[in-house]
Amino acid sequence: MAELSFNLLHTLDPRRDAYGFALRPQHTQRYKEYAKIYKEEEGERSDKWKEFLERLAISDQPCSSDEEYKETLQVEATECKVETVLESEESDESSGRKSISDGSKERDLEKEVHHSKETKTHEVQTWAQIRPSLSAIEIMMSSQIRTSKDMIDEQKTISGDHLPSIEEAKSPGGASEEEFDGDIYVNATSDDNANAAGTVTAEVDKVSSKNLFPLKEEVEFLVRGGVPKDLRGEVWQAFVGVKTRRVERYYQNLLAQEASDGEHKEHEDSSGVPKKWKRQIEKDIPRTFPGHPALDDNGRNSLRRLLLAYARHNPSVGYCQAMNFFAGLLLLLMPEENAFWTLVGIIDDYFGGYYTEEMIESQVDQLVFEELMRERFPKLVNHLDYLGVQVAWISGPWFLSIFVNMIPWESVFRVWDVLLFEGNRVMLFRTALALMELYGPALVTTKDAGDAITLLQSLAGSTFDSSQLVLTACMGFLAVTEARLQELRTKHRPAVLVVVEERSKRGRVWKDSKGLASKLYSFKHDPVSLIEEKKSTEGGDSLADEDKSSLNGTTNLDELLNGLSVDSELDSLPDLQEQVVWLKVELCRLLEEKRAAVLRAEELETALMEMVKQDNRRELSARVELLEQELAELKQALADKREQETAMLQVLMRLEQEQRVTEDARISAEQDAAAQRYAVHVLQERYEKALASVAEMEKRVVVAESMLEATLQYESGQSKAHASPRSTRNQDTPTRKTGLLSFGLGWRDRNKGKPTDVKESNLSHSTNEGMDPSSSEKETKNEQKET
Amino acid sequence: MGCSSSLPDRSSGQLAGLNSENGGVSDAKNLRVKLVLLGDSGVGKSCIVLRFVRGQFDPTSKVTVGASFLSQTIALQDSTTVKFEIWDTAGQERYAALAPLYYRGAAVAVVVYDITSPESFAKAQYWVKELQKHGSPDIVMALVGNKADLNEKREVPVQDGIDYAEKNGMFFIETSAKTADNINQLFEEIAKRLPRPASS
Ligand SMILES: Nc1nc2c(ncn2[C@@H]2O[C@H](COP(=O)(O)OP(=O)(O)O)[C@@H](O)[C@H]2O)c(=O)[nH]1
Ligand SMILES: [Mg+2]
Repeated sequence: MAELSFNLLHTLDPRRDAYGFALRPQHTQRYKEYAKIYKEEEGERSDKWKEFLERLAISDQPCSSDEEYKETLQVEATECKVETVLESEESDESSGRKSISDGSKERDLEKEVHHSKETKTHEVQTWAQIRPSLSAIEIMMSSQIRTSKDMIDEQKTISGDHLPSIEEAKSPGGASEEEFDGDIYVNATSDDNANAAGTVTAEVDKVSSKNLFPLKEEVEFLVRGGVPKDLRGEVWQAFVGVKTRRVERYYQNLLAQEASDGEHKEHEDSSGVPKKWKRQIEKDIPRTFPGHPALDDNGRNSLRRLLLAYARHNPSVGYCQAMNFFAGLLLLLMPEENAFWTLVGIIDDYFGGYYTEEMIESQVDQLVFEELMRERFPKLVNHLDYLGVQVAWISGPWFLSIFVNMIPWESVFRVWDVLLFEGNRVMLFRTALALMELYGPALVTTKDAGDAITLLQSLAGSTFDSSQLVLTACMGFLAVTEARLQELRTKHRPAVLVVVEERSKRGRVWKDSKGLASKLYSFKHDPVSLIEEKKSTEGGDSLADEDKSSLNGTTNLDELLNGLSVDSELDSLPDLQEQVVWLKVELCRLLEEKRAAVLRAEELETALMEMVKQDNRRELSARVELLEQELAELKQALADKREQETAMLQVLMRLEQEQRVTEDARISAEQDAAAQRYAVHVLQERYEKALASVAEMEKRVVVAESMLEATLQYESGQSKAHASPRSTRNQDTPTRKTGLLSFGLGWRDRNKGKPTDVKESNLSHSTNEGMDPSSSEKETKNEQKET
Repeated sequence: MGCSSSLPDRSSGQLAGLNSENGGVSDAKNLRVKLVLLGDSGVGKSCIVLRFVRGQFDPTSKVTVGASFLSQTIALQDSTTVKFEIWDTAGQERYAALAPLYYRGAAVAVVVYDITSPESFAKAQYWVKELQKHGSPDIVMALVGNKADLNEKREVPVQDGIDYAEKNGMFFIETSAKTADNINQLFEEIAKRLPRPASS
């Protein structure tokens, strides 16, 4: 329930962010810049979600609106009026326990939802139903949950003394046992859909009439944009399926057993949380978000209860460092029991096999991630190889902490939003790849391993642009899907299992020797006390009690001593106690020898393994060489092809150029021809004009001739009458006239050519009918030119 | 996609990679060493690194998940510099599965215990054995008894540390990240014990 969560506190401390987490000094400035953007984004997304939830509420929950729900909460924190929908809870549990949200009075909230809250003192609340409008999402998500409601019944039949973990109560094919057997572990999340479907059929039926897919898509879109702060706790619970997972009183029973175990302390029966986990939890509580305002004494108590309950719930995980941060984070967002069920969902399902004693899946994921890196960013990985940096050095902590303390908090929340929605670890990979994409270009400029790692750490630590990060992660790596990851995990898991197997062998030897070493150690220092300890069989050695089973018969000195037959040599020893001491020393020596022998054997075995590995490696490197050679050949071929291509291209270009040249020539020739044709045309015209004028002149000649004739006739008439010397001269004239006429006609018939030539010939042979040969030759030439 | 700059060719890359695998010796005057801190959870590994690198002591340090990295360069009297590339590892027992990832190829291993906790001393011995078997053969090892300021709560005598270290050819020192006692000395002494590349 958002009302109770502490994250809404807007701290005034400049060294802490809006969630109350410490800011690194070097980041305060950038955080301030981004705080504005965050606020804007927050406004937008609250509007979107509000609108979305209102729509859902109208379609799904006509009877119990969020408003009603809020009122209910205001009236009484632990009881819900809408009893058909909400369960009323643990009034007995509540007394004396304070939720960490007590400081919420100072909350400075923009949301109208909280206005009426200030005066109300919160009753202790360890469980709260999430708002009804989210139930559609809850139902949609619950198909992913493999927890079966059968366990409710099972739990009811079991007396409060020994409570099975849900793992045990679940389907016999539970995953966590399988891992230890070294079997291939198939993520059951998807496989169990059928199972889970059965348990939620009733609810799903209610909504199945509506198409679930558009809803899912819409939610996905909204989730990628981020979940509003005041909804986050509840939305996460809906995603993880807290309601479906929850078994009433399960959490309280776990705690009650823990408390009763504490009373008869030192009694570690099988159901108790092993001491080593308790000790580790105690060490880690003050180191979890130190100084966070919500983690005061009450907060820490919540954290302790949560972690102890989880350890008891799932002994195959127990407690693993990193869970302290997850539990702390969840407690900031929701009441304690809600946080418990959310943690159960995350660790058991989302991260099954991750935080167990062997951490197998976590190691597998690193191999998978490295392969993805090589596939996606070969250059970057090459550079890191060159610097001697292994990707897993950096990505390992990212994955194990789910980015908590690795990137700024706003980004952590945004990544978790998507991760929890998706129900698997895909977002882990996508985010890590996105970080590499964002910072790879900077990384390849580094010159040594230290610089590269420092740079990547600090760049990742200042990824304030959470929207960019989530967008890059979700959109940039669509090919990284759960199916692909499962495939890769199956491929890499055997390698991890081999190493783990080898390690666990070594570990057993070590545990033997460890118990022994500490015995020896305390013996050397305080032989008397050890001897006195003789009678108190369950010795106070903190080391031995962790692995009693494996030490049986070897460390229980007293047992052994009692069984020893007394050597005759011993009789000479003056004091019985001294005898015992001597014997013990002797025994220790023998045991040490035995240990040395075991170690030696193991060393030899390791050496053998090493040799085998070496062999494999040689083979591998041969193959690598072969592949590299092939690659080189391929590259060569490619280069050759490229060269050929360029040569072809050049030829082509030359051809093209030539073509262009000829084309140009053709065009200019055509232009010439056109010009000449035009010239001919002009000449023709001139010729015609000339012809016309010739005709005119002919006419005039005719007129002139007739006039001349008339004149001649007249003159002859006159000369007949007056004989005169002029008459002789006049006799030439008719000859001339004929010549002129004949010339004109001859020219017209014969010549279509140049008038100049004609003129010439005209001038030279005025009386000649034909043309001289030279001029006619010229004409032919001219005609040839034209064509 | 992500990276655009040119890459050194493969053969030189492998050479350099090997180099840094062996501690990343760069030259006789400027050494680069990979150092790994091992030891039980809560003995103060992270505090030691933070004291050495940042000069601070935060009594409420964070739990180390997986491992974390810091680097620090010191100058020695003979005017050589040593750049420590420090991997601080997670202490919980199950995280030991991941430790080889970090100690493989390290030139220096600092094994830390808490002088108020015999259990952590036993755990330190486990790490020494593990390193002897699986670490680089020429690895320089230091045994550190931390929280020396809590002398009144001491449960591991100084002599035990000295003896164990001597038997295993290790350098031994007791430190306090809280008071800064012997922290710089620890790293200086390590620097002196590093194998030097033959001066050219
Ligand atoms: N008194 C004292 N406490 C220390 C010292 N070093 C570390 N601590 C405390 O021990 C706790 C664990 O330290 P940490 O560095 O986180 O241990 P790690 O798990 O080995 O990294 C911290 O909360 C410190 O307060 C020291 O030198 N003296
Ligand atoms: Mg640490």
